[in-house]
Amino acid sequence: MESTLDSHTKSTDCVRDGMNLTRREFIKGVGLGGGAVVLLGQFGIHGAAWALSGDPLLKMVLVDYAKCTGCQTCEAACSAQNRPVTVAGRELPGLGNPRFANIRVHRFNPDVDVPSVCAMCSDTPCVKACPVDPDPRTGRRALYRDQATRTIRNDPGRCLGCRSCARACATERTGVITPNPATGKPERICTLCGGDPQCVRRCPFGALSFVEVRRDRKFYGLGPEQIAAELAKGWYGTAEFGGAQ
Amino acid sequence: MSVKPGYHGVVLNIDLSTGRSEKVAVPPEDLDRFVGGQGLGMKILWDRLKKPGVDPLSPENPLIFMPGPFSGLPVPSSSRTCVVTKSPITSPVESDYPHASTVSYSNMGGFFGPEVRFAGYDGLVVTGKAPELCYVVIDDGRVEIREGKRFKGMRTDAFDRAFQDSLGDRRFKTVYIGPAGENLVPYASIIHTAGRAAGRGGMGCVMGSKNLKAIAVKGSGQPGVADHQRFLAALEKARSALYGTAYAKSWAEQGTARAIVANSHAGTEAVRNYREGTFLEADKIGGDAARRDVWVKDIACYCCPLACKKSGMTRGKYGGIIHDGPEYETGVMLGSNLLISDMPGLLKAITIIDDLGLDQISTGNVIGFLMEAYEKGLINRSFLDGIDLTWGSVDATLAMIEKIAAKEGVGALAAEGVRALSWHIGKGSEKFAIQVKGLELAAHNIQANQPRGLSYVTASRGACHMSGDNIAMQNRRAMLDSTGMCFFPTFEPALEEPMLAMLSAITGREYDKTLFEKTGERIFNLEKLFNYREGFRRADDRLPDRFFEDPFTIGSKKGSVLDRGQFDAMLTQYYKDRGWDPETTRPGEAKIRELGLDSISEGMQK
Repeated sequence: MESTLDSHTKSTDCVRDGMNLTRREFIKGVGLGGGAVVLLGQFGIHGAAWALSGDPLLKMVLVDYAKCTGCQTCEAACSAQNRPVTVAGRELPGLGNPRFANIRVHRFNPDVDVPSVCAMCSDTPCVKACPVDPDPRTGRRALYRDQATRTIRNDPGRCLGCRSCARACATERTGVITPNPATGKPERICTLCGGDPQCVRRCPFGALSFVEVRRDRKFYGLGPEQIAAELAKGWYGTAEFGGAQ
Repeated sequence: MSVKPGYHGVVLNIDLSTGRSEKVAVPPEDLDRFVGGQGLGMKILWDRLKKPGVDPLSPENPLIFMPGPFSGLPVPSSSRTCVVTKSPITSPVESDYPHASTVSYSNMGGFFGPEVRFAGYDGLVVTGKAPELCYVVIDDGRVEIREGKRFKGMRTDAFDRAFQDSLGDRRFKTVYIGPAGENLVPYASIIHTAGRAAGRGGMGCVMGSKNLKAIAVKGSGQPGVADHQRFLAALEKARSALYGTAYAKSWAEQGTARAIVANSHAGTEAVRNYREGTFLEADKIGGDAARRDVWVKDIACYCCPLACKKSGMTRGKYGGIIHDGPEYETGVMLGSNLLISDMPGLLKAITIIDDLGLDQISTGNVIGFLMEAYEKGLINRSFLDGIDLTWGSVDATLAMIEKIAAKEGVGALAAEGVRALSWHIGKGSEKFAIQVKGLELAAHNIQANQPRGLSYVTASRGACHMSGDNIAMQNRRAMLDSTGMCFFPTFEPALEEPMLAMLSAITGREYDKTLFEKTGERIFNLEKLFNYREGFRRADDRLPDRFFEDPFTIGSKKGSVLDRGQFDAMLTQYYKDRGWDPETTRPGEAKIRELGLDSISEGMQK
């Protein structure tokens, strides 16, 4: 872990001293609060460098908000992969209506785009909120962490559709879990596409990466409105924005 | 009836007079022959307006929002919506019909077109007129016309936020007009995401005439494709042709603003009301300056890897948030053309024009004309309601913009465009009223660029810089604007083959370069037939005298001026090559038969 911390510190210093920052990069850095964290992202330093202390590492889809252009290609790619179609007996990616994506780009005015995706929380408030008794054999509630993929999964056969997981996610974390309007069962939980997230692969701007993170990094588990407000403050000097419903 | 692959096979008809909306089937042969977007929009316009001379501001004139067959699929850069209607701006020299005007189209990026397709439609056709200001909400099959009086007079930036908040779901994609559209300024725009616009050709005016403030749409569907596997394979190739390339990066770096300095050097920029082609202070308002001082974020339209749109912020007297710009057109029309080199001032003007819902190009052109007329003493300060409208004055420009949108004082006349202004002022001012058929020219100057002059005079909507500089380009462009794909990625040659393959895989109709251009030719000729029926003739394909009489006095193209004889000869050859009568410009019978437009030209004056 020391080496991780070192690389983080060094990189930060290097950024602070390295000084050919354009005004734009500077503003972007400021917009992200601490500056350093994001500048790391901008300079392509990922992975272990994000870790600061404490919790076990979790691999998730991480967003560099300064690079996101709001094009929604990630949504289309996610939807295509996670809603496949069968053509002549072969399962193929679908056509990708972004409505059914697990990652979602929230657009605000002034122009801030916030892709929001499952934070893969190690303490799983969504799972804890599930009122279904653990299965005596597997120990799983209806909602559980799949130890193989590390993703959160729902067993629709046991799920009551009570929306407790979505409420917990909304109040404590990103609010990405969305109950199906008809059944109340949770949707939009990231599958990591079997270890090769298509949103990351398809982003034309390199704004997404699949990396190990810790929960104490900037913006961890925050909802899109909170993130947008902070970004807008730094980029445009205002915290007032629309589209916040 | 089975639905053609790649389409829903229906448009949503919304009649604001009766309050009724219904799905209307599109004849399958029209999908083959006119594709979508601009082409299918024109066919619908033709079908709805059965006679010439319909008043563009009457309930009868349809306002048509058209995505294309690429829309709603993850095809790179296929974000466009083509808005089609009968123009409230143009008119011919002579016609039997008092309300004669051309077709009009305006092509806009963003997210609206794809969402229309998600909602289950190949287009929206708005007709009629609501008794009071209203807006329409489309959520898949559910369509509601709601009372919108509380939004009356609201500027587009504030409206964008308030409307989105009132809808309660960020997934809605919205288009709307500002005060200029409500006030029926002929060159009012339709705005989307506060910084994108269907700007040209009077779309916002027609929308305002229907008492329609806004449309919101979202949907959960998608059309199927003819060959799924082939589509996915071609999609991969299309992405590879653009992703991470120097070409794509160049668009992300400066967008169209790169051309502000480049075209000034080339002598092809609109400067000082088209008097010059070079702006000596272009670097102050160009892409490098904006990248350094203004922009904070690159923004892309739906599934676009180019990200040519920019947002940013300026400080000082004119400081504020910038939703977009400077782009080439906005930066030149409000910058170089007015000799404004103050970046924050320029961006203030651009921002206010979008906020009021005006067309950036026509507005900048009108103000340039007024500045020149004022400088020449053809109008005085009291004509301008006390505004000291001198070259380079930001404050005077801002004041003028407000007057135009409100149609207040001199603004009421300025709102009618440069041609109406020059008719009113007289004294030889027609020479520098820079318009064709009543529509103002865009930011590309032509004393040293004759082919672009051809684009301006032969374009179907009046002076249009996007129409194409020759027949092949015009045909390709008409077709491209019918697919839903943006023009900008198509300069990349590696995109062409996968683009044609995707179109074929989606529609099940095998498109090669020839069929692509031929289909575009049919669309362009349909537009021409519409305009011909209204009374447009060769005399209407005419440039203002400035371009033949005022050689540039500065820049790399100093001394350049168009030659009238040469230009006329080029035009005659153009009509002949098109298969049109060089005297009347009517498409010939052979061409009409070749394109299968016989039924359309039936009964039309020879």
